[in-house]
Amino acid sequence: MSVLDLDYMLGLVPILLSYLPLTLAMAAAGMVLALALACGLAVIRVLKIPGLNAATLLFISFFRGTPLLVQLFLFYYGLPQVLSFLTQIGGITATIMGLTLHFSAYMAESIRAAIVGVDRSQTEAALSIGMTNGQLMRRIVLPQATRVAVPTLMNYFIDMIKATSLAFTLGVTELMGATQKEAAGSFLYFEAFITVAVIYWGIVELLAWCQRRLEHRLNEAYRR
Amino acid sequence: MIRRLTLMLLSVGAIAVSGLALAQESPLRVGMSGGYFPFTFVEQDTLKGFEVDVMNAVGEEMGREVAFVTANFSGLFGMLESGRIDTIANQITITDEREAKYAFTKPYVYDGAQVVTKRGNDEISGVEDLRGKRVAVNLGSNYEQLLRELPYADDIDIRTYESNIEQDTALGRVDAFVMDRVSASQVIKEKPLPLQLAGQPFSEIHNALPFRDTEEGRALRDDVDAALDALRDDGTLSEISERWFGTDITRP
Repeated sequence: MSVLDLDYMLGLVPILLSYLPLTLAMAAAGMVLALALACGLAVIRVLKIPGLNAATLLFISFFRGTPLLVQLFLFYYGLPQVLSFLTQIGGITATIMGLTLHFSAYMAESIRAAIVGVDRSQTEAALSIGMTNGQLMRRIVLPQATRVAVPTLMNYFIDMIKATSLAFTLGVTELMGATQKEAAGSFLYFEAFITVAVIYWGIVELLAWCQRRLEHRLNEAYRR
Repeated sequence: MIRRLTLMLLSVGAIAVSGLALAQESPLRVGMSGGYFPFTFVEQDTLKGFEVDVMNAVGEEMGREVAFVTANFSGLFGMLESGRIDTIANQITITDEREAKYAFTKPYVYDGAQVVTKRGNDEISGVEDLRGKRVAVNLGSNYEQLLRELPYADDIDIRTYESNIEQDTALGRVDAFVMDRVSASQVIKEKPLPLQLAGQPFSEIHNALPFRDTEEGRALRDDVDAALDALRDDGTLSEISERWFGTDITRP
């Protein structure tokens, strides 16, 4: 038995790559939805809207306080025993929903922190020259908060890509599920898992490069 | 205008009707892990194995298409329970607990539980030597149950795995694993892992297809059972077994 069966690994790459679009699509859909939800939650938290604020706190507490795998099982296998119509929801949709709810809880907090972190003097200055609340948010606070929030949000996106590897427990054959099944057929675990690790790593590195470029642009105004 | 509207309604109706017809001929949804060589596994992106061949033959016999759904083993019973699949073809052993909850077909595989160790391990030559040893079993499989029923179960360090028990035994992280004799022999014969069978099988195992214990589930079970009977009688089951194992495991 040789140390590494390179031919097997090379043969595996195109097979595994054909599952990459599904992995990325689930992560991208989850990211867009989670971002939208997180913005809403963050605004509720910043403005402390009565009633909604308490509900948001409970939401964040639950989805941050339980593992994603537990949430996926609860939602996909548990709830349908009580609410049978939920079986209409497929594994891919359920994964995206799980990622959305789970990560929006984290992202809401980092967006809130970014908004609160904008110096109070900025708000006072904007109000003193007669800006409305909407203008204040759009022109002054949000652009500055975005710059602060981007690195942490990208972090969550990277985490989300990797979290899609849980989808095989819901019957979705994505990148990791495909790898597990191929490994079961060949028993070449080392080769199969190294190959998939390199693929994940490459994707994340590509994203990190995009992030550096984005941050570079957002920092334009602060460069001397 | 009215004509166009009628046309639209008609086409909507036609789609609805064809949808209904489709629903009638909906495929038999069969869940499996895709990770249990040689019963269900993937090679070059193709799902293969004894179970796949058996279920395809059943589908052909019933005149019904078969749709395979792969998921981690731990998710399969949840999928059956929540109506996302119709049955599980993954060497499901009939146990009292499962029989109370599901409607089973007649057995289509007769097998035994087998202890497997790393090659060269002469300390363990059967289930009675597992005292004080680390033994791996698959999560949700009935081998854990079998071990726990042994009189000296408390002395066995049972480790439950999601997958890869063969690999961890070969690595020496556990002393042995327990799975069915047929796949264990097959793994040893065909795969590059240093493993050996330890002694004789220690418990008889009957594998069958579980269905939901509802009116609908039982009706479907009866149809599948009839198809299995026909395949047993015309020798198809034996032939599939010979192809994968070189022996007939479909008869007691």
